Amino acid sequence: MSKFQALSAYQRPSADGYQLLPFRFTPLNDREYVLTNQAGEFTVLDRQTLAAVVQHQLPPTDRLYDDLKSKHFIIDRDSSVATALLALKVRTKLKRLSDFTGLHIFVVSLRCEHSCPYCQVSRQSDDQLAFDMSVETAEKSLALVFRSPSPAIKIEFQGGEPLLKLPLIRHVVERAEALNITQGRDLQFVIATNLALINDEFLDFCRNHNIFISTSLDGPADLHNANRPRPGHDSYQRAIEGISKVRSAIGRARVSALMTTTTLSLGRVRDIVDVYVAQGFRGIFLRPMSPYGFAVKTKWFKAYDTDEWLAFYFAGLDYILELNRSAYDFTEFYAATILAKMLTPFEPGFVDLRSPAGIGIGAMVYNYDGDVYASDESRMLAEMGDKIFRIGNVHRDRYEDIILSDALLKPIEESFATSVPMCSDCAFEPFCGADPVFHYATQGDFVGRKPLSAFCKRNMAIFRRLIALMRADDEVRRIFVKWANSRC
Amino acid sequence: MSRMLVFSAQVYSIETIKKAAYRFSDVLAIDIVPRLGEIECVLHFLSGSQGEGQDEAIIAAFKNEVLDQDLRVLISKETEAIRNAVLAYALSKTELQGP
Repeated sequence: MSKFQALSAYQRPSADGYQLLPFRFTPLNDREYVLTNQAGEFTVLDRQTLAAVVQHQLPPTDRLYDDLKSKHFIIDRDSSVATALLALKVRTKLKRLSDFTGLHIFVVSLRCEHSCPYCQVSRQSDDQLAFDMSVETAEKSLALVFRSPSPAIKIEFQGGEPLLKLPLIRHVVERAEALNITQGRDLQFVIATNLALINDEFLDFCRNHNIFISTSLDGPADLHNANRPRPGHDSYQRAIEGISKVRSAIGRARVSALMTTTTLSLGRVRDIVDVYVAQGFRGIFLRPMSPYGFAVKTKWFKAYDTDEWLAFYFAGLDYILELNRSAYDFTEFYAATILAKMLTPFEPGFVDLRSPAGIGIGAMVYNYDGDVYASDESRMLAEMGDKIFRIGNVHRDRYEDIILSDALLKPIEESFATSVPMCSDCAFEPFCGADPVFHYATQGDFVGRKPLSAFCKRNMAIFRRLIALMRADDEVRRIFVKWANSRC
Repeated sequence: MSRMLVFSAQVYSIETIKKAAYRFSDVLAIDIVPRLGEIECVLHFLSGSQGEGQDEAIIAAFKNEVLDQDLRVLISKETEAIRNAVLAYALSKTELQGP
């Protein structure tokens, strides 16, 4: 006699039938729908089957019954712990909320020796010292940083070009480390730099304080230099040499690069990825341009539309998957962030893809002049003259005043996707975000009309493509699982 | 150009039709007029939204969206209590609030 009962013993029809658990659905294609439960687990059904499930017509002997039950779409008398398990999964997804602000951005100077026409921060020429952060402002900012309850604090130095204010960066790093002796946080530093101005003193400093470097690399030399003009027309050469020097001085994994898609990038995604591969990077973040700063003034932002960017992105994704199929591990980081939401119990915490919105909660920005902004994009908008997302000032306001300000709470509350038209019943909501700053910049309100939202169109297309790709090919699914776990 | 559709008020609620209409607000402006036992919808195609044969495709998609919204209402009603219970439990001990 077997130790175990036959499968049929576990498939006894419940006298009460089954009950639906909360789920949402959205078309995947002409025939099928994506269903997501409250914790973001998903499945795909055709319309007829979806309707049968909702109308309680799915027999317990159907293979789908157990699948839906295990993924918490339905519940029956046999699964009394399912509700508590589902709640635990939702709670795991929300965990980051209780950690509160982990990323703190110091804009140490708006000055820059590059003159990029797509610059989203409205940089100033490098003789304009009025756009530098003072020591006093940095000290007050630092005091606010450590008021955040987050166990992990990342201080990121941005500009302009932050290396034009290296003495101030040095001061902030040393002060933060001193404060952290009693605070005991997981403290990290990142400098976002174009690497054009690095020297041995800077490299020694990075090595001694375990500093990470984030730089810009837009693609091959002709493309990069056209996007990022500077005196000498040598931005690419300096970036490549800088990456090499930083790696030699502080380690390979301590430097990462970001690209921005311009109209010059369209049609060249393979060239761009090839540069990242040639430089030994293990991934790339294919980023669209954002509607802020000089990118708007120079009309570079509107030089291509969402469809053109998606064509660029999907061509890049296909190429990257080709690389992975030929045994070269290489990740597209935006896809990986979304896949972490789709395929793991965790929330990766990417500021743009959070609801409640990541502004203030996920990141805070301390501007050179002492103003505090709710996100990097918020200060970019401010440099265009609109300070609606200024949530306080380090010299005038207490931490409590800043965190509880209407300027922060109103956009978070209004844009909460669970109660926003269209998002509230969208199956992709658990993978998506609110992004009130983008919608304010493009439509003039924190919520925006989603049928007209480029953010919504872009992300919905990516969600659909990722799900379609992994359903069509088991190898792609394996690659995606690997990417997802790398972001947790 | 405009087209009229009539839905039975016994089958669909006004809220269902309104939610479907919102989703099409990039291509349609829709007048929703409740009548005795019926809900009349006048669909106005926004300029630039129509191509060859596009209008029929948009109308068909709108009808399917109304069906989808109706199904969503069924799910929402049946799962309201459990949805709130799950959220209450999930948020209960996360230290989101101070002492």
